[in-house]
Amino acid sequence: MKKRIFYWISGRNVKKPIVSDIIKTYDVDVTILKAKMEPSEGFLTLELNGNEDNVLNSVEYLKEYGEVEDISQPIQKKEEKCIDCGACIVHCPVGAIKFEEDFSVTFDIDECIGCKTCAKICPTKAIVVYDL
Amino acid sequence: MKTIKQINEKIKNGDAVIVTAEEMISIVEEEGAEKASETVDVVTTGTFGAMCSSGVFLNFGHSDPPIKMMKTYLNGVEAYSGLAAVDAYLGATQANSDDDIGIDYGGAHVIEDLVAGKEVELEAEGYTTDCYPRKRVSTIITIDDLNQAMLFNPRNCYQSYNSATNSRDEKLYTYMGKLLPEFGNLNYSGAGQLNPMQNDFNTTTKTYNTLGVGTKIFAGGAQGYIAGEGTQHSPAGGFGTLAIQGNLKEMDTKYIRGATIPKYGSTLFMGIGIPIPVLNSEIAQTCAIRDEDIKVPILDYGIQRRDKPTLGVTNYKDLRTGKISMELDISGEKVDKCIRTTSVSSYKTSREIAGELKDWIINKEFFLSDRVAGLNTCAPKPMKADAKLVRDIIKRPPIVAKETISVSEASKILIEKNINHLPIVDENNCIMGIITSWDIAKAMAQSKTTISDIMTKYVVWASPDEPIEMVAKKMSANNISGLPIVDNNKKVLGVISAEDISKLIGHYI
Ligand code: SF4
Ligand code: SF4
Repeated sequence: MKKRIFYWISGRNVKKPIVSDIIKTYDVDVTILKAKMEPSEGFLTLELNGNEDNVLNSVEYLKEYGEVEDISQPIQKKEEKCIDCGACIVHCPVGAIKFEEDFSVTFDIDECIGCKTCAKICPTKAIVVYDL
Repeated sequence: MKTIKQINEKIKNGDAVIVTAEEMISIVEEEGAEKASETVDVVTTGTFGAMCSSGVFLNFGHSDPPIKMMKTYLNGVEAYSGLAAVDAYLGATQANSDDDIGIDYGGAHVIEDLVAGKEVELEAEGYTTDCYPRKRVSTIITIDDLNQAMLFNPRNCYQSYNSATNSRDEKLYTYMGKLLPEFGNLNYSGAGQLNPMQNDFNTTTKTYNTLGVGTKIFAGGAQGYIAGEGTQHSPAGGFGTLAIQGNLKEMDTKYIRGATIPKYGSTLFMGIGIPIPVLNSEIAQTCAIRDEDIKVPILDYGIQRRDKPTLGVTNYKDLRTGKISMELDISGEKVDKCIRTTSVSSYKTSREIAGELKDWIINKEFFLSDRVAGLNTCAPKPMKADAKLVRDIIKRPPIVAKETISVSEASKILIEKNINHLPIVDENNCIMGIITSWDIAKAMAQSKTTISDIMTKYVVWASPDEPIEMVAKKMSANNISGLPIVDNNKKVLGVISAEDISKLIGHYI
């Protein structure tokens, strides 16, 4: 199972090796998609990969030290605004955007990590960002 | 040999064979140009990309009492009204007069809103005369309230365009989109094998087979005309351009779209399609041009000069695969690099335009016109303006110091030489850091004694080939007042300060 989450961790716990704990204890693969550490708190975007029980248990573990939020649909492309130029494609860090056979531009929302880079680059402002 | 008149007859009778430029490729491949010229009557083309040199002439009709508009704003975007009383020209790249909105809603967006039939706020100010006593006017209009809304683009529909990459270690925001550092991407624009001018270009004579002044075209979803060659027209190099006109009132927001290229400006995405009458086999052959036949030079936008270095040549077929590999010269070494490519124009919409134009002709809604004159051949000249480069104002020899000197020695150098910036170098005179008088003052206050403790190690520098305008931009972006000048080997050649620059160009900083 693959699960993507936003993780907020409070200042008290930023020094705890929480991420390495879940890797060791629950045998999940963790990809850190984004990380921002501040003196009193930290923000992480994580992708957890492993068997379903392990992934869910590791999420429970993470919740002990901070707040977990599922990444549902962070962005949406407005079809009527998109001109299928493709300017956004190379700027997506996870390769969630691509040209189809007929040169229309499509988003794989399951891959998207909500980084908003595409929204900033889009000349027609075709991408709506849902702020979480 | 056919004539346009004969083709129009066939269209009227429903006998004409119309294909898109994409379809023409395989027809010529299979049947040969000779046969294709007999079977096919018209080839339709299309392109849809950012065309900055776009705009509309608007006539607002007279107010009561009349006004001679001098400053005119549409939804806060200024339209040039130094014409007759109630005429104005709104340019696509004009930024909003409200700094907070700026390029997010500029001229191109007003044009799109007009086409969409939306209400637009008109505000104008005039100077009073006996015939135009009114000073101000403020009202709401839609495109239907205008007498004329005449799209006139002095330059668009480029035959070919360069692709852009960036050798610098910082990202660049250009009219070709965002360019990532160190050749992180290669951006290209244009419809390639569907491009109207490309399909009509005679490579031997360097002129256009059929298009010219008066050629009827697809312009933004309406029927428009070619007004002449565009500005900077350069057919010899395959960089022809067109000036076109069309009635904005008949256009469609699908093919005329306001856009903002990040940190560059607003621009109009514009759709243009040109029908090419297949009069003979030569024209049939030209219309069979393929993406792989169209060369696209790769330019380094990291060099912010008029003439950017060409790093290589690619073609539209390779560009459309999403990546190209090329050999690059990185710090004197030949490196094979795979660069991801991105389009900044829409091939999908270009196709739709060629398809829609085809449908118009099939449905007898569009007939071809004979040109009244060909396009002039010309080659654009650069502007007469000298470039001042960093190398022109280097003071020699450079004043530098080694890391081993003490803070008080460093302060002595600054005072004696009356300078504010002291580059710190290694035994080869290569840059390691920089010290300013402020760093010394800070060191005193904090009782620090070694240079390496107080010097700035992440140095922003200038190269001798950089124009001083670029250096001024760097200084203000980094909020610093002096930069070391270093050569390709990071050897320090001197220092350039804000003062040097302001002496030279007074008002720049
Ligand atoms: S927000 Fe856009 S750029 Fe970022 S991951 Fe999602 S699709 Fe890619
Ligand atoms: S940059 Fe915007 S308009 Fe272009 S393909 Fe991406 S979403 Fe569509």
